[in-house]
Amino acid sequence: MKLSDVAQVVRSKNAGPRRLTFDIMFGSDEDYRRVAQSPAINAEIIGGLYGVPAAEVTIFPYPVGRAIKIVLARKIMAGDPGDFDVYGAQQHAPLLGIEL
Amino acid sequence: MSASGRVLREIRANRRPLRLLGASGQLGYGVPTPAFNAGLARKPDMIGCDMGSIDIGPTYLGKGEMATSPESTRRDLRKVLRGARSLDIPLIIGSAGSAGAAAHLNATLDIIRDIARTDGLSFRMAVIPADTDRAMLLEAVRAGRVTGLDDMPALTEQDVNDASNIVGQMGTGPFRKALEMDVDVIVAGRACDTGIFAALPTALGFPTGLSVHMAKIVECASLCCVPGGRDSILAILDDDGFVLESMNPDRRATPTSVAAHSLYEQSDPYTVHEPDGSLDLTNARYVAVDDRRARVSGAAWKDSIDPTIKLEGATKIGERAILLCGSADPRFIAQSKELLPKVAIVVRDLVCEDTTEDYTLHFRVYGVDGVRMNVPPNEAMPGEVFIMAECIAPTRERASEVVRTCKQFLLHYGYPGRLSTAGNIAFPFTPPEISVGPAYRFSIYHLLHVSDVDALFPVEVETL
Repeated sequence: MKLSDVAQVVRSKNAGPRRLTFDIMFGSDEDYRRVAQSPAINAEIIGGLYGVPAAEVTIFPYPVGRAIKIVLARKIMAGDPGDFDVYGAQQHAPLLGIEL
Repeated sequence: MSASGRVLREIRANRRPLRLLGASGQLGYGVPTPAFNAGLARKPDMIGCDMGSIDIGPTYLGKGEMATSPESTRRDLRKVLRGARSLDIPLIIGSAGSAGAAAHLNATLDIIRDIARTDGLSFRMAVIPADTDRAMLLEAVRAGRVTGLDDMPALTEQDVNDASNIVGQMGTGPFRKALEMDVDVIVAGRACDTGIFAALPTALGFPTGLSVHMAKIVECASLCCVPGGRDSILAILDDDGFVLESMNPDRRATPTSVAAHSLYEQSDPYTVHEPDGSLDLTNARYVAVDDRRARVSGAAWKDSIDPTIKLEGATKIGERAILLCGSADPRFIAQSKELLPKVAIVVRDLVCEDTTEDYTLHFRVYGVDGVRMNVPPNEAMPGEVFIMAECIAPTRERASEVVRTCKQFLLHYGYPGRLSTAGNIAFPFTPPEISVGPAYRFSIYHLLHVSDVDALFPVEVETL
């Protein structure tokens, strides 16, 4: 099963111009638990998807919001020459296919 | 007596829950009228609007321009101004004009003054500029009182001198000071969005943690609801918690939707850093009042022993020109990653024949790798791609020269296996090159460590 089959929201956005933050949100506590406990949600795998070291990936389980937050460093600061997504709103796609 | 004086006196004399209307999280992009009017009918004690963000990138800050159009900005300002005056309650606007520097604040004030004149409104207005004094900042840099945010390199004196605009994000204090000056309207430059809504409750002695948590949610209007949206939201705050209710009946504030809002654009869902302290949401509780209202409690506040102001600065890095084109040639598309840098070398050898390489040239191939931070290897190639070449050069003429040269040699570049020898790219129109204007980058994203975080933001009052 892929993450996009279970999640209700998978989104990315800047958290300041130097960080990207991803929110994965679920429609039920059961779905949340299934994904939060999945070994596929780890810093190694997510770092690999974005080409950053696992040490630079932070994962926050957020049960009260039935959500998982992921934060990592942008390779290019928002708006710098060579940037491709100033708001960071289209960086979620690699997460969709994570096999749980 | 003006609105803030009246509301403060009334509630200090007869303490009761406070009613705050979050009219817009992006004033200037439209305030839906039905929900705003429904909010006014609920007799709020104040109206707040956030008007800016760092998300929009460095150019607005650097250039001193608003992101919103003058027409829609005026329409929104008029709506909230008339609404607040009709109830004689304070109107508080933060991060005026998108980026909150002097140019943005002044443009916003000019619109407000013009509305007051045209509509025959008279009121007292507090104005709080957010521009950072450069002499003070240079002294702070030399004294080691400026630190980078999120691994930003150390700030140099040259960064300070080169920046086109530098602003600090004011906290709740300057808003509170303005409220105590007996005013009807407060317009602030760059500000923490929480300051807009936390000032009135903290001035009245409501718990800081609850006030700031409430402020953090309502500054985005009904975004914390399902479905989320721009409609006005009402918060009713007491000493133990607050109730949220969207003024659009189709939007529901549920415990989960409100809790999940703490994730939005934040790098930590449990902590919110403010100039003079931090909000701790570890013990926040969210419960349903009914199917479209949620009650929130439990947020704690911790004063900081090291108060800081977040600084934002943008520096001009040149003039930007772009080239827009596409390709449907499978061989060209398959080789684009190797071809484009070679075209860049051809361009460089031509335009730098008698001068240095004084520009940057970036290609984005939409359909292949134009959007993503990291593209997996061996992805299937698309049938068509859109190509954008972007040049940043010292002058408009130089940037234009580079992209025009690029166009010609991208069109005719020969590569192994080429079949389409009359041209590699398609233009939707000609000329396909566009001069975009000045380009900026964020050169300052730092914390200024300062004992009195409010003293940097003087409050001025004018009577209209």
